Amino acid sequence: MRPLDPRLLRRARSARRYVLLTAGLGGLTAAAVVAQALLLARALSPVVLRTADWPDVAPLVGWLAAAVATRVLLTWLQERFAHRSAVRAIAELREQVLARAVTLGPRWVAAHPGVTTLATRGLDALEPYFVRYLPQLLLAATVTPATLAVVLAHDLIAAVTITVTLPLIPVFMVLIGRMTQGYADRRLAAMTRLGNQVLDLLAGLPTLRALGRERGPERQVAELGDAHRRATMGTLRVAFLSGMTLELLTTISVALVAVGVGFRLVFGDLSLTTGLAVLVLAPEVYLPLRQVGAHFHASADGVAAAEQAFEVIEQPTPARGTAPAPDLARTTVRLRGVTVAAPDRATFAPTDLDLTVAPGEVVALAGPNGAGKSTTVAVLLGLLDPDTGEVLLDGPDGPVPLGEIDPETFWPQVAWVPQRPVIEPGSVREAVQRGRPVPEAALASAAALTGFDRVVAGLPHGWDQQLGQGGVGLSLGQRQRLALTRALLAPAALVVLDEPTAHLDADGERVVLEAVGRLRAEGRTVLLVAHRTSLLDLADRTVTVASSALAAP
Amino acid sequence: MRRDPLWRAVRLLEVDLRRVGAAVAAGVGGLGSAIALAAVSAWLIARAAQMPPVSVLSVAAVSVRLFGISRGVLRYVERLASHDVALRGMATLRVRLYERLATTSPAGLVGLRRGDLLARVGADVDAVGDVVVRGLLPMAVAGVLGVASAVAMGIFLPAAGLTLAGCLLLAGVVAPWIARRGVRAVERDAAAARADLAAVGQSLLDGAAELTVTGRVEPMLAELRAADSRLARATDRGAVPAALAAALGPAATGLAVLAALAVGIPATTSGGLHPVELAVVVLTPLAVFESTAVLPGAAVALLRSREAARRIVELLDTAPGASQQPAAVARPRTPDTAPCRSGAALEAHGLVVGWPDGHALVHDLDLTLEPGRSVAVVGPSGLGKTTLLLTLAGLLPAKAGTVLAGGAPVDGRATAAARVALTAEDSHVFDTSVLENLRVARGDVSPDEATRMCSAVGLDRWLEALPHGLETRLGSDAARISGGERRRLLVARALLAPAPVLLLDEPTEHLDTSGRTLLAGLLDGSLAHGRAVLVVTHRLAGLERAGEVILLDATGTVRARGTHTELLTGPRAAPAYRAAWQAEQQEIA
Repeated sequence: MRPLDPRLLRRARSARRYVLLTAGLGGLTAAAVVAQALLLARALSPVVLRTADWPDVAPLVGWLAAAVATRVLLTWLQERFAHRSAVRAIAELREQVLARAVTLGPRWVAAHPGVTTLATRGLDALEPYFVRYLPQLLLAATVTPATLAVVLAHDLIAAVTITVTLPLIPVFMVLIGRMTQGYADRRLAAMTRLGNQVLDLLAGLPTLRALGRERGPERQVAELGDAHRRATMGTLRVAFLSGMTLELLTTISVALVAVGVGFRLVFGDLSLTTGLAVLVLAPEVYLPLRQVGAHFHASADGVAAAEQAFEVIEQPTPARGTAPAPDLARTTVRLRGVTVAAPDRATFAPTDLDLTVAPGEVVALAGPNGAGKSTTVAVLLGLLDPDTGEVLLDGPDGPVPLGEIDPETFWPQVAWVPQRPVIEPGSVREAVQRGRPVPEAALASAAALTGFDRVVAGLPHGWDQQLGQGGVGLSLGQRQRLALTRALLAPAALVVLDEPTAHLDADGERVVLEAVGRLRAEGRTVLLVAHRTSLLDLADRTVTVASSALAAP
Repeated sequence: MRRDPLWRAVRLLEVDLRRVGAAVAAGVGGLGSAIALAAVSAWLIARAAQMPPVSVLSVAAVSVRLFGISRGVLRYVERLASHDVALRGMATLRVRLYERLATTSPAGLVGLRRGDLLARVGADVDAVGDVVVRGLLPMAVAGVLGVASAVAMGIFLPAAGLTLAGCLLLAGVVAPWIARRGVRAVERDAAAARADLAAVGQSLLDGAAELTVTGRVEPMLAELRAADSRLARATDRGAVPAALAAALGPAATGLAVLAALAVGIPATTSGGLHPVELAVVVLTPLAVFESTAVLPGAAVALLRSREAARRIVELLDTAPGASQQPAAVARPRTPDTAPCRSGAALEAHGLVVGWPDGHALVHDLDLTLEPGRSVAVVGPSGLGKTTLLLTLAGLLPAKAGTVLAGGAPVDGRATAAARVALTAEDSHVFDTSVLENLRVARGDVSPDEATRMCSAVGLDRWLEALPHGLETRLGSDAARISGGERRRLLVARALLAPAPVLLLDEPTEHLDTSGRTLLAGLLDGSLAHGRAVLVVTHRLAGLERAGEVILLDATGTVRARGTHTELLTGPRAAPAYRAAWQAEQQEIA
């Protein structure tokens, strides 16, 4: 894990500005820290030596107050802008992750279930990284060398003491980290297992009660809790070692510097002003390093999330065709020998499928669950490349492979009702129109046909009802009706309906039959994934999709 | 304070005060060493400047080195001690939760099945334990050290002690209070923006294909940007108090030093303070504020844990029935498995069921189930069939009517458990071996018995394929088990239960056509051996073996009852049943 990944600066503009700001503030902080120490030493030492009085040092105390005020202001600025920059940088990464994941397609998303968590919550772990860790890292790069240089200028021996111990800190941390890593990993696994077993018992409590067996496991809960504590303490004893080493090294060094300065003062090798300045500066040299160590773990989740995000963002996007799509109203869609390997299953679904959909035809796809009906639809829409076989658009100018066609010219000619239609946030009207205004009469007539008018009538605000995110508030059946209405209104030559009756009762089924009838009357091409025989009867032709077991190697 | 959920939850940890005392003492020792190091080295240097004999400095020199070591060591001890306190408390809290939930009123527990309440318990207990480590102990340590430092400086110079105390209050009380307010404001405003973000992100990923085809990706991304900038605005408002709280730390330190100079220098001139002591009074504050630096974070930790504590306390408060049942109900471990001779195995008269706080879901149900017989309850999904089973099992009180098992009323889980065993649709598969999962039903199931039962429910080939047979561990993520196999395992477990009445919720869901055989076996007595079986299902295939089929309509009223054949044809035929049967037959298998 790199402390500051250059990709973070490249991908998130806000992070770049923030790092610059923080580095600038770090430099100023270093100046303020040095000024504070020197002014304090100069104000204090003549009074201790009884060579000066309050009026003599009062101006110095005034300057000291100014240095303190500067440091306070710098801290305020740092914290003030850290949160803002963190949220913006996270937002930039989130958008890129989501945009790329959507481009990579539904199969890729299904195969990478972690992306949802990453985009919705995971990236938020970057906030402690930006707000706590990064500033300390930059202070370690500014305050530590600046204060060390000032100590060096004042007292060579103290500077040497610090310079000798300073590199020991990372060396010891790495050594201890290496030594303990394997041990900690093993312990962590045991700890996680024990913790999960307790939760498992709690989660299974309703089941235990349903079988009348709830008494007894509380002893097990207690024993597991005890075992969990012992395992955790074992890990912590080792894990805290690195923290202790860090603190031991830094405080012993400061103590050694103090004692050394003290004895050299006795022999008159050093002035009190220098001694006090070195005493005040010595802990400041180590402070940022200690803070980096303290915030290291808190930032680790965020760095891991960022790395996952870069993996997604840096996925190559699939190449897209460039040829304009033919007019689908005069084009036959042909699937030839299409075979797709099902993810995680040793099957091809569909296997060697031939499908021809001529303009104006109503074609049904049938077959058992898992045969690959929806996969066939994805292939036909160009969302998924088949493992073998091809999709051709056979238009007036001859057949063109779907892969060579610019999807931006193909998709607008298609209306697709998937099994779980997306309802975007906004009003019901907006959800149906999808950014394409429709005359009120057409809207009413389509809604009447699909029965969506009754759904709308039941909503408190009718067509202007705001739908929650994801269309919460509508049942699956109502969403299906909405999607069907949407498909009727879309000016698309090819309409694809994936199991349109799945969540509908007998009345809903009649609606689908009527809607398909209307589409046929309008001369549109319809591809139906059918589940019930009533739908098959409606189609001009039925094509059966079949899967096959993967040949044993 | 007594009503504060956080306080109540912390008390439930039942922490050992001696251990807490030890942890605080170690913490005070650790951070105190750092303060002592600063004070003694200030004295050492100031005194050394007067060029005394070296022997005068030797004690101070040794103690400076000693404090340099003790700081790291004691801090290590403190971290271990505080985590030990928290982990012990968390273990206790988990046991208390388990005990309380195991004896709670059935209605309360059943309520928990909805949502992810139980799943969250683990994280919530951790959050309450975290309060001890990150919240309460640092506050105690800072409190002790703050008072001690102010008093120590006050001994040298009362005015310096007072100004230090004031600055400590600024950094240790005012700053945490402001930080807490800031976080609270952000969380309130940001919660809605975060929810929007999550929902838009989810829609984008779930509907990626449809949104791509319809060209709606860009508008959704715009929606995402809008939600993100709402979040940024909320965070930005909260950053103002956060920055103020952060700046108060160095401000308090600087003020303490400046004040010590301002009161100390005139006092030195007037002879009220020794010049060497002036160095101590001025330089010690530089180290004192390390203990208050963590307090804004501690205040925020307390705030964030309060929500977790509230959920835990609520969970425990849903136990009004806890006292109604004796803690240990004397009950034979393996009750008589022979069918009850007195009366029917299960009877219901005029039964009305529903959630305690909801309306009635099933009305006026009469039911008689003789040993060795079976009943299937069918009807549209979501009408309350599961609620009916919970009521029959004594896990929910009936809204009206009676339930008798073996002639005695079912009026609470404690008395009903021996007579009625329920296998819910979402029954838990435990993170343990196959055999132990079956022993959940009855503790003395032998391996032979388990193997026989597995083959009876059609799990023989699955069992043979497992690497360690019955001893194979089934992860709680159920990675080794498919939906259908899980269902069969639950049926096997139900059949091993000693109770004479078995209630099964959708036992053959997720099973292909072979599930029909399993359902038939459950209904015709060939698997259940003389016990009474009640099955709730929405699929009708296999019901020809049921002694009686009860068809409920969407309002929860009995629409028709009789055997499968009677409901399809004959004088008692129900058109709704026939329609459902035909629809199911029509589905393309």
